[in-house]
Amino acid sequence: MKKTRITICTGTACYVLGGANLLELEDFLSDEMKSRIEITGSACLGMCKAASNDSKPPYVKIDDEVIHSATIQKIIAYLSER
Amino acid sequence: MNESSLFFEVDYYQINKSGMSVAGDVFLSTRSDDGSIVTVLADGLGSGIKANVLATLTAKMASVFVLNSMDIRKSAEIIIDTLPVCSERKIGYSTFTVARIEPDGNAYIIEYDNPGFVFLSNNGAEKISYERIDIKSSPVKKNFINYYSLHLERGNRLVFFSDGVTQSGMGCASTPLGWGSANTGEYIEKLVRSDPGIGAGKLSRSIVAQALAHDIYKAHDDITCEVICCREPRKLLLATGPSMHSDKDREMSERIRDFKGCRIICGGTTSQIVSRELDVEVEVDISKISRDIPPKSVMKGIDLVTEGILTLCRIAELLESGKFRNSDESNAATEAIALMMNNDIIYFLVGTRINEAHQDPSMPREIEIRRNIIKKIIYNLENKYLKKTELQFI
Repeated sequence: MKKTRITICTGTACYVLGGANLLELEDFLSDEMKSRIEITGSACLGMCKAASNDSKPPYVKIDDEVIHSATIQKIIAYLSER
Repeated sequence: MNESSLFFEVDYYQINKSGMSVAGDVFLSTRSDDGSIVTVLADGLGSGIKANVLATLTAKMASVFVLNSMDIRKSAEIIIDTLPVCSERKIGYSTFTVARIEPDGNAYIIEYDNPGFVFLSNNGAEKISYERIDIKSSPVKKNFINYYSLHLERGNRLVFFSDGVTQSGMGCASTPLGWGSANTGEYIEKLVRSDPGIGAGKLSRSIVAQALAHDIYKAHDDITCEVICCREPRKLLLATGPSMHSDKDREMSERIRDFKGCRIICGGTTSQIVSRELDVEVEVDISKISRDIPPKSVMKGIDLVTEGILTLCRIAELLESGKFRNSDESNAATEAIALMMNNDIIYFLVGTRINEAHQDPSMPREIEIRRNIIKKIIYNLENKYLKKTELQFI
């Protein structure tokens, strides 16, 4: 099975607005979840430039889907639905 | 910049006496307007705050006097007469070693009661003759100052240390009278022989570490070591920020590629531009994470790739405080500083495009405009760390 790719933006805006915590994501995942995902970091994804009230950093991409205002809980919730 | 000229790399390392929050040894270095370097290593009587006050006064006075080319005898007398008198010992006293090194390599060194410095040429340690000058100011003891005059060439090193080094291990079975000047000198010679390219930072750290080991990892006195290396300048290019005009992207990338020396890129967008233009992959390395500083990235041919503003701000902060020396902090900023310290001429290639996302008022106020941070970094590199720098906007 192809693994789900989680890309965490480590650009400045994302990092200061909570992205720093997201890098510890793996520590919060169950073994089952860990086995089906792959975590990578990324330089600025460029999405902060188009941020609005409805879409704020930090950004995380899960495969091609963008999650804004990302938190570890939000990512886990998303992953459990898949 | 005249690249064939001599370059003097200056660095030091210090450990406080065990239990003391400040050192009684003080190291100061400054560059005068004519390009001369003046360094002072002073060791105040006693330890802790009192010694620190004595040593700071001494170091500051000595460096100002020497910078203004005042007569050595007169300077020493003024210093000795001015120092506050210790309430217990009834004398005001601080040893010192002052070195003035002119851009052409002429060096003048004054030594007052500090352990003799070590001069290393390519052939190893060499004895330097000196003049013994009598200064009659003290009511308590006879005072002599050693005055050296020598010429430095490429590959030469000067190593200065406080008595915390030579007296380390005193009272131990293997070194009942301490490490001693001769043994210290031999150890330094051995270090340089085994690593002929060793820089001032690493050499001073190794010597202090060895002295601390003699004290069984509990320093009995402040241990300080200062090294001056005369060498072919090592060059570093730090590129940060996208250019105002994207048609310069290619030029910037090629200048990074063609630079001969160490290369750092600070900035996510900048690294992506370089990656696109030169067709080299860049990958964020999330194996080591720090709470404060975003992780570094890896790009072939580039020594270090980091995030931009946060990392630069941290670099500026650490250079200002000097705290990177005795700290366990390890992140992209400290790695960048380690590279800067190991190089002599630092070229900054700075793109001035403003990142709009950073102007959001919800961002921490530490996020500054790139130009301003670079200005701070350059100021400290030049004045505190005696590096040469060159700044170019693109």
